[in-house]
Amino acid sequence: MKKTGIVSLFFGLVLIVSSCKPEGKPIDYGHDKCDYCMMTIVDQRFGCEVVTKKGKVYKFDAVECMVNYVSEKVEDENGLALLFTNTHDHPGKFIDAHSAQYLVSKNMPSPMGMYINPFGDAAEAQKMQQQNGGEIFSWDELRAKFAN
Amino acid sequence: MGIKYIKTTLILFFVYMPFWLTAGLLKVNPGEFSIREAIKIAQPHDTIQVASGTYLEHDIIVDKPLVIIGIDRPVIDGEHKAEIIIIASDSVTFSGFQIQNVGFSFTKDWAGIKLDRVDYCTIENNRLIDTYFGIYLKKVKHTIVKNNIMEGIAKNEVNSGNGIHLWYCEDILIEGNKISGHRDGIYFEFVEESKILNNVSEGNIRYGLHFMFSNHDDYIGNTFKNNGTGVAVMFSNFIIMKDNKFIDNWGTSNYGLLLKEIYDGELSGNVFKSNTTAIFADGTNRIRITHNNFISNGWAMNIFGSCMDNEIAFNNFISNTFDLTTNSSRNHNSYHDNYWDNYTGYDLDRDGIGDVPYRPVRLFSFVISKVPESIILLRSFFIDMINIAEKVAPVLTPQSLLDDRPKMKMLRYD
Repeated sequence: MKKTGIVSLFFGLVLIVSSCKPEGKPIDYGHDKCDYCMMTIVDQRFGCEVVTKKGKVYKFDAVECMVNYVSEKVEDENGLALLFTNTHDHPGKFIDAHSAQYLVSKNMPSPMGMYINPFGDAAEAQKMQQQNGGEIFSWDELRAKFAN
Repeated sequence: MGIKYIKTTLILFFVYMPFWLTAGLLKVNPGEFSIREAIKIAQPHDTIQVASGTYLEHDIIVDKPLVIIGIDRPVIDGEHKAEIIIIASDSVTFSGFQIQNVGFSFTKDWAGIKLDRVDYCTIENNRLIDTYFGIYLKKVKHTIVKNNIMEGIAKNEVNSGNGIHLWYCEDILIEGNKISGHRDGIYFEFVEESKILNNVSEGNIRYGLHFMFSNHDDYIGNTFKNNGTGVAVMFSNFIIMKDNKFIDNWGTSNYGLLLKEIYDGELSGNVFKSNTTAIFADGTNRIRITHNNFISNGWAMNIFGSCMDNEIAFNNFISNTFDLTTNSSRNHNSYHDNYWDNYTGYDLDRDGIGDVPYRPVRLFSFVISKVPESIILLRSFFIDMINIAEKVAPVLTPQSLLDDRPKMKMLRYD
């Protein structure tokens, strides 16, 4: 009897812990809307996502919108659990936005007109920088520069 | 005096004759000569006539001012390898071709016909099939894109290009084109002083027409049918929107016209028919919405509280499930002289204007804007009750949001 109690308590705990863990959701391209600018998200090189600690998911069509959203709606990033971005090297695949490299080049348009192009691989970003010019930013540098 | 005129004419004739003679004519037939070679040996301002047939060529760079004409619609097939025509010179005319099968790239915006940093070109009477991006204008001025047909193959796939794509352009005329099966039918980013007239944009995945950061542009007489959203105007000022048709744009996040951060425009003479939401406006200021017909839409208008100083007048609202909804309890816009078929007041003084004001926001539409799932209660008796209660004594709906001159009869526009 006692044993069953402990086991059920254990399973209960597992359930609570697992259900509280914030998780990303895949973007349904062509149907999901950007939570900042309302545009339908279509480009798999630029889609982004923010997950709050409570598990609410916000999706964006471009890094520009995520930067603006993070700086407008959330005072500090502590309220956010996860930040994801798609990249040019692996379109349609999320990586942690903090680990991505952002090439800002006037020769590479992005959906919201600020020329922010995310890359997962630093070497790939540098290669595109050599071809197109521009500057590479980290997530924190990008936030400091582009948040309006 | 006659002799003097003849003299001048003769002098002019002989002065200009050498120019006529040098503007040569080259003919290209399939199999014997490629279009690329013809461009290579042509002199500036020559005409190249291309006979009908199929030409398997791509990356054809037009680097001098030429007139290139297809006779009986020759086909240029890129075999999905790369892009096809790249115009890199001013004053090029390109007409009468069928361009098909452009390659797909994640990093490059490949197009059927691309114009790169050029002025005074004309792209006319072409047919583009499966070209990823159709006609792509990059930093182009004073150019005409007329009577082209673009058929994309984007059905569900999202990595598709735009039909007519403009980026940093000025003074462009886009007239009489038919665009279907692309991401956005027509896309404007940083485009000034341009006109979009009498085009048909149909069955595109995202938007029929999309403005981003573009000012002082007009779109008149176009039809936007069965796109994700008919037209999206975003972050743009001084846009004139006249005499267009917005039809059959259905879906939960789909609108006939989406207005977001747009100032000082005019929206008049348009027809909105069978859309989930005919107009959705957020951050929209100083727009005159007049003389439009709203017929059989789910919501005729959804105006967010962030919209100010708009004038909504002389419109017809007919057979819409909801006339107007808003997410705010305040109103900063002016509504007057519209015809609302839901209006039930009398006109005892017979001046054509209803005696009591009409309140277009029903309590229930306000409830739905907060809790979308409550739509399941539509047409229930309980909802009718609370709507009537709210009509008598408005508490939740914006008190000042009313049309104090509702028309008794439908307004006629020819």
